[in-house]
Amino acid sequence: MMAKENGKKDARPLMNILHEVQEKHGYISEHMLKQIAVEQDIPIARLYGVVKFYTMFHTEPQGKYVIEICGSPSCVLNNGVKLEKFLEKEIGAGIGETSKDGMFSLYKVSCIGCCDEAPAMLVNGEPRTKLTVERLRLLLKKIRENEAKQSDGEKKK
Amino acid sequence: MGKKRSELMQILRQTKLEALEKARTLGPEGVIALMEKRGLEGRGGAAYPTAKKWKTCRDAPADERFVVCNADEGEPGTFKDKLIIRHNAETLVEGILIAAYAVGAKRCFIYLRGEYDYLRPRLQEQIDEVLSRAGMEGVTIEIVRGAGAYICGEATALLQSIMGFRGNAMAKPPNPTTCGLWGKPTVINNVETLACAAQAVLFEDWDPTLRLFSISGNVKNPGVYEFPLGVKMSTIIDVARPVKKLKAMSFGCFGGIMPVDPEMAVTPETICMEKCQHGAYSIIFIDETNNVVDVAYSIAKFYTYESCGKCTPCREGTIRMLNLLKKVRTGKAVKKDLELLRELATHVQETALCGLGQTCGNHILTSLQHFPKDYDAYMKK
Repeated sequence: MMAKENGKKDARPLMNILHEVQEKHGYISEHMLKQIAVEQDIPIARLYGVVKFYTMFHTEPQGKYVIEICGSPSCVLNNGVKLEKFLEKEIGAGIGETSKDGMFSLYKVSCIGCCDEAPAMLVNGEPRTKLTVERLRLLLKKIRENEAKQSDGEKKK
Repeated sequence: MGKKRSELMQILRQTKLEALEKARTLGPEGVIALMEKRGLEGRGGAAYPTAKKWKTCRDAPADERFVVCNADEGEPGTFKDKLIIRHNAETLVEGILIAAYAVGAKRCFIYLRGEYDYLRPRLQEQIDEVLSRAGMEGVTIEIVRGAGAYICGEATALLQSIMGFRGNAMAKPPNPTTCGLWGKPTVINNVETLACAAQAVLFEDWDPTLRLFSISGNVKNPGVYEFPLGVKMSTIIDVARPVKKLKAMSFGCFGGIMPVDPEMAVTPETICMEKCQHGAYSIIFIDETNNVVDVAYSIAKFYTYESCGKCTPCREGTIRMLNLLKKVRTGKAVKKDLELLRELATHVQETALCGLGQTCGNHILTSLQHFPKDYDAYMKK
């Protein structure tokens, strides 16, 4: 199990490095992969294999808001499927896709551990719980309004 | 009696570095002996005696040892470790330090699942705070950030991930306790176990029979509750308050879907005979308005999604089982398909490499056995 191919013991955990790169750039591009491979002295094929294994790492650009809908039985039993369909329709993207305006990326994940507040989802890593269609509608409205304000502000500058 | 109020729960009692202080007066061997006396068992699902694990690690010849806190709580329906990280992280960190002291480790890790990343900044503060006061020369605790792979809750896969590899499960032996991170003896304990370790060291009245239950599903009062082993199912149901008449309960994902028996005493032995496992005491209640096949389908999806792909039975079997359930739900299945489903589930469980594959058919086998009517409702007429 632990032969030559060991990860480096004294380096910072690769998982943390990958997270930080993704946080900075929104995703882990080919360019970044090459850079990490050189810096960490890891064969790029192995590094790519690691990135592709973990569902939270993305090698393609993501929407500004990454939505992860919980697919656990607790969420399914509490109307989760209905909310999933509503979201798909509202943002115009299916599971695993990014909306055309580049605003939202939608994913379905196994369980986010909010079963006592089901149905739930993560928006850019922050939990949103006890969801209803109405609450989702309000949330999307708020996000869109904030975005519109921001882009207005940028235009005025 | 079930308690939800946080101040009434044993798991939320704070040890305030007094447990570590006491551990140091006992010496490493003394701490391990005390763990044995208190009867602390692993709370991640396998119920392995903590004293035995620590002793094996301590006795393994090596120049370096590691302690890993498994905070990759990913089992659908389970959210008890989150409660501890949120409300009693200091005691958890102290538990890690006690483990490090007992086995002789300097470097410790907390593998925190990516879905709980929002808890990380606060946890990091608490780690720094406790470390600054603990006076454990040279001991470090590093958070390693998971990234959405359930399999990394499995010990060997978790270690692979910490070392910067794909989170594939590895064949055992060697066990991580003697040959873990970078080939060195490594103790892996889950969050609840380590918090309990600190409490068991300090409190004379610490009760080893109390367990955290994650309750969710079609109930009015979902949440984390503390019950003693042997608690009656009716007590749990009373606290959870189902909205409608209950039909079934699912013990996490890998425990199987069982009929609700109010008289049942919840213990590792009785909780669902030999066909299913108690795991981390997560109960998802399902009421009569739902078809059990739909729940089984969502569980099958979970396994298909989370299979690490290393061994063939699990990688292929989970997909085939999901497809068969899809066939059932679209009304295209005939009786022969159900037989195939049963056969497949049994076969995969017997041949898969790790705990995930060995339990990935439980929901199918148990639901086929106990809820044939739900399957009938979907069958091709």
